[in-house]
Amino acid sequence: MTNQLEAAVLVAVLFGSGLYLCFSRRMLRMLFGFLMISNAANLVLIAISGDPTGKRAATVGEDAPVGVPPVDPLPQALILTAIVIGFAVAAYLTVLIYRLYTDRGTANLNTLFADQARGGAAAKEDAS
Amino acid sequence: MNPFGTPANWAAFPVIFPALVALLCLLAPRPSVWRRGLALLSFAGLLAHACWIVSHAMNEGPLVLRLGGWVAPYGIVLVADTLAGIMLALSSFTALSCALFGYAETPTREEHPLRLPLLLFLLAGINLTFVTGDLFNLFVAFEVMLLSSYGLMTLEAGARESRQALPYLTLNLVGSALFLAVCGFTYSLFGTLNFAEMIVRSDGLAGDYRLTLLAVLMLMVFGLKAGLFPLYQWLPGSYSVMPAPIAAFYAGMLTKVGVYVLIRIFGTVLPPSLTELHTLIAWSAGLTMVIGVLGAVGQMRVQTILSYHIVSQIGFMALAIGLFTPFAFTAAIFYIIHHIIVKAALFLVSGSVAQLNGTDDLARTGGLWRAAPWLGIAFVLQAMSLAGLPPLSGFWGKFMIIQEGFTQGEWVLVAMSLVASILTLMSMLKIWLGAFWKAAPEGTPVASSGRTRAMSAVILAMACVSLVIGFGAEKFLRIAKHAADETLDRAGYVANVRAANETLYPSKTPGATKP
Repeated sequence: MTNQLEAAVLVAVLFGSGLYLCFSRRMLRMLFGFLMISNAANLVLIAISGDPTGKRAATVGEDAPVGVPPVDPLPQALILTAIVIGFAVAAYLTVLIYRLYTDRGTANLNTLFADQARGGAAAKEDAS
Repeated sequence: MNPFGTPANWAAFPVIFPALVALLCLLAPRPSVWRRGLALLSFAGLLAHACWIVSHAMNEGPLVLRLGGWVAPYGIVLVADTLAGIMLALSSFTALSCALFGYAETPTREEHPLRLPLLLFLLAGINLTFVTGDLFNLFVAFEVMLLSSYGLMTLEAGARESRQALPYLTLNLVGSALFLAVCGFTYSLFGTLNFAEMIVRSDGLAGDYRLTLLAVLMLMVFGLKAGLFPLYQWLPGSYSVMPAPIAAFYAGMLTKVGVYVLIRIFGTVLPPSLTELHTLIAWSAGLTMVIGVLGAVGQMRVQTILSYHIVSQIGFMALAIGLFTPFAFTAAIFYIIHHIIVKAALFLVSGSVAQLNGTDDLARTGGLWRAAPWLGIAFVLQAMSLAGLPPLSGFWGKFMIIQEGFTQGEWVLVAMSLVASILTLMSMLKIWLGAFWKAAPEGTPVASSGRTRAMSAVILAMACVSLVIGFGAEKFLRIAKHAADETLDRAGYVANVRAANETLYPSKTPGATKP
C-alpha cells in the first residue's frame, strides 16, 4: 500500500474539529460536528481500500485490462451502508434539535440545562 | 416438519421475527388489545426459541448460519452459541415483563401508538448484536438498536425530559463514528471482518502494537456502550426520565449489550495475550463500581438512584472480564443473568412507586408497605439480591468474582467491590425506608387499585424468577460455565464457523476460501 499521509492528516483534522464542535454548547454546531465526524469515519474506510490510482472497477469481464489491480469492493459496500445510517441519524438529530428549540426557545446547552447547572434537588424535583 | 429448512436457519429468527411483528404492528396504527396480544405472544415465542437455542447449543453445539449462502470470509455469518442464547433469553424475558408492566400501567387507549413497534425494532437490533459473527454487521446492529432507542427515549418525553436525550445521542454518535473507524482499521489490519477469520489471523499478529491500539479503540467504543468509567456520565441522566417500563428495558438490556460485546470481543475474537488491556478493564471496572455507587448517595429519586447503581453493577461484570479466567467469565455471565432481571424489576418498582404515590421522589413518598405489601416483598427480595446477600441470586455472582479476585491477589479491587456492595445495601435501605416503611407525608396520595396490583404481580413474578436463579444457582452456573468455556474456546469457534462452510460447499477446503 502506498503512502497515505494526506488521508491520515485529513481524517485527523476532520475528527478533531468534529469532536470539538460536537462538545460545544450550541446545538447547531453539534450537528455540524457530527456530520464532520461521520465523514471522517467514512474517509478512514476509503483510505483502507488502498491507493485508488490505477485501479479499475471491481467487475471481472472479458475485456478487463490486464495488470491493473482491481478496487477492493468491500470497503465501498461498508461506506454505502455507513452513509445511509449516518443520514438517518443526522435526520433524527436535526429533528430533536428543532424540537428542543421550539419547546424551550433555545438552541444553547447552557440555557437548556441552566436549572441543573445551578444544581440542587429543587431543580430536579421540578423536572420530575 | 421444519419450515425453515435446516435448523441453522433458526439463528436468524430472533432478528427477523421481532422486525416482522413490528411492521405488522405499524399496519394497525391505533393501539388495540390485538396489537398488545400479538406483541406479547411474539416476546413469549422469542423466549421459548432462545431457551431452545441454549439447549441446542449445549447439547449439539452452536447454530451457524451463512446469510444468503455466502462462504464465511466473504458473507456474513450468524452464530448462535450458548452465550448468545442466554442473552437472547434475557432480552425476550425482559421485553415480556416490561411490556406486561406497561399494559398494566397504561390503559390501551392511552398507549403511545409507536411504543410497541419501536420496542420490537429495538429488540431486533439487540438480538442481532448477540447472534452476529461479523464486526461490521455488529456495527449495523448497534445502529438499528441505537436509532430505535433514540426514538423510544424521546417518544413520550415532555418538553423538560426530551433534553436528556441530547447527551445520550451525542456520546453515542461519537461512539458510532469511532466504531466505524474501528471497522476500517480492523479490515486493514486483518483483511477480514469475520470474527472466526479475525481469530485465525490475530495469532500471527501477537505482540504487534497495532493490535493493542485497535483493542484500546474497541475498549473505548464498547466501554462507552456499557457505561464503563470514565465513559458513564451519559447514563444516569438519560435513564431517569423515561417512562418506567421503557426505562426498565433500557436498564436491563442496553448497557449489558456493551458488556456482552466486551466478553465476545476480548474473550473470543482478540487473542488472550493482551494482558495489559485486561488489567486496564479491571481497574476501570473498579473505579466504575465505586464512582457509580457514590453518585447514588446524594440522589432522592428512586429511578435516579437505580440508574447510578447500573453504573456500579457494570463495574462488577467488567471486573470479572478483566480478571480473565474461565472461572471469572462464568461469574460474569452468571452475574449478567442475575443482574438483568433484578435491575429491570427494580426499575419497575420505581414505576409502581410513582404510580402509587404520584412521585418517586423519596422526600414525598411513603406508606407503601401498608398499601402494597406484595410490592414491598418483591422490592426487598430484589434489593437484597442486588446488594448480594446470600442465598439470593446476586450473592453467587459477587462471591465468585471476589473469590477470583482473592485468587489473583487483587486486594484493592476486592476491597473496592466490597465497599460498593455495602453502599448499595445502604442505598436500597434508603429506598425501603423512604418509600415503604415511613408513613406517607401530608398530601401524598397512596392509591392502590386493580391497576397497581397487576403491576405488583408482574414484579413479584420477576422476583420469583430471580429467587429460582438464586436457589437453583447450580443449574444456572452449569449453563454459565458452558457458555464461558465456549466463549474462551477460540479454536472451537473457528472450527464451528468453518464446518458450516464445509456442509455447504463440501468440495472446497476451508483454506481455499481465504481471499
